[in-house]
Amino acid sequence: MFKDLDPILHSQLRLAVMSLLIGLKEAEFTYIKEKTNATAGNLSVQIQKLKEAGYIDVMKQFKDNYPQTTCKITPLGVKAFEDYVKNLQSYLSVKK
Amino acid sequence: MEEKDINEQESLLLIQQMINTAKHEQKDDGRGWILWGWLLFLVSLLTYINLYTRWFSTYYFWSYFGFLSLLLLLYSVVKYYLFKRKERAKTYTGELFQKLNVGFFITIMFIIFSMNTGLQPMKGFPLLIGLYGFWILIYGTALDFKPSIIAAYITWGLGFAAFFVNSFASTMIFHGLAALVGYIIPGHIAYVEFKKLNR
Repeated sequence: MFKDLDPILHSQLRLAVMSLLIGLKEAEFTYIKEKTNATAGNLSVQIQKLKEAGYIDVMKQFKDNYPQTTCKITPLGVKAFEDYVKNLQSYLSVKK
Repeated sequence: MEEKDINEQESLLLIQQMINTAKHEQKDDGRGWILWGWLLFLVSLLTYINLYTRWFSTYYFWSYFGFLSLLLLLYSVVKYYLFKRKERAKTYTGELFQKLNVGFFITIMFIIFSMNTGLQPMKGFPLLIGLYGFWILIYGTALDFKPSIIAAYITWGLGFAAFFVNSFASTMIFHGLAALVGYIIPGHIAYVEFKKLNR
């Protein structure tokens, strides 16, 4: 039987963030915003949801008096992403 | 991009797009290899010519190259720590390359030190070529860049052949060729590909 797709990941912006972070060690908020073409407000909300799910770590610090937010995928996030892709591929192979 | 529901195919496409975006961060523009390669090639060529013209002492150009390399290294270190140019995205390969470069330069220093304390330069330079091949292979593999992977094996072939030459002039020819094949040609190919990717 098919497993349900993770609702945390089955959303355009959250999936984009996770897909970006899976290939990087860590990325700044401004970088993620640029690559996903998201608004700052919406991206903040989605990053918070991913953080609450334990899929990403968010580090905040000050650099030259400016706030800097850096995101990094967690081992739990990597596992969730891998499961999501596996389930996705199962859905798509059956649909064919 | 917004928070909206997407179907399975859109999900897979989005994943591919984002992973490709992350992969672009790992691409090298090849400029470092081009600079390093041309310096090595030029010094090999000047040394070869000098062996026949006897303008200066045998290792004159290599001494200046060593000094210039130390200056470039110092400049890179100062630029990194003083200006703290922070990358907005860090990659695992970027970290690997930083460590690889440190190891590479320390090992080069070891070989140069050996050549100054007893090891014949005609044996030392083939060792250097062998080290270049190692660096080129790791870089090429990490970046999935075939020209570098092929270049590594050719460089090793040149390095091995250099052990059997009977003059320092011939050693310089092999060293110059290794710089051309291992750094200059792949560097220019990488530069062209990087430009196409970022158009």
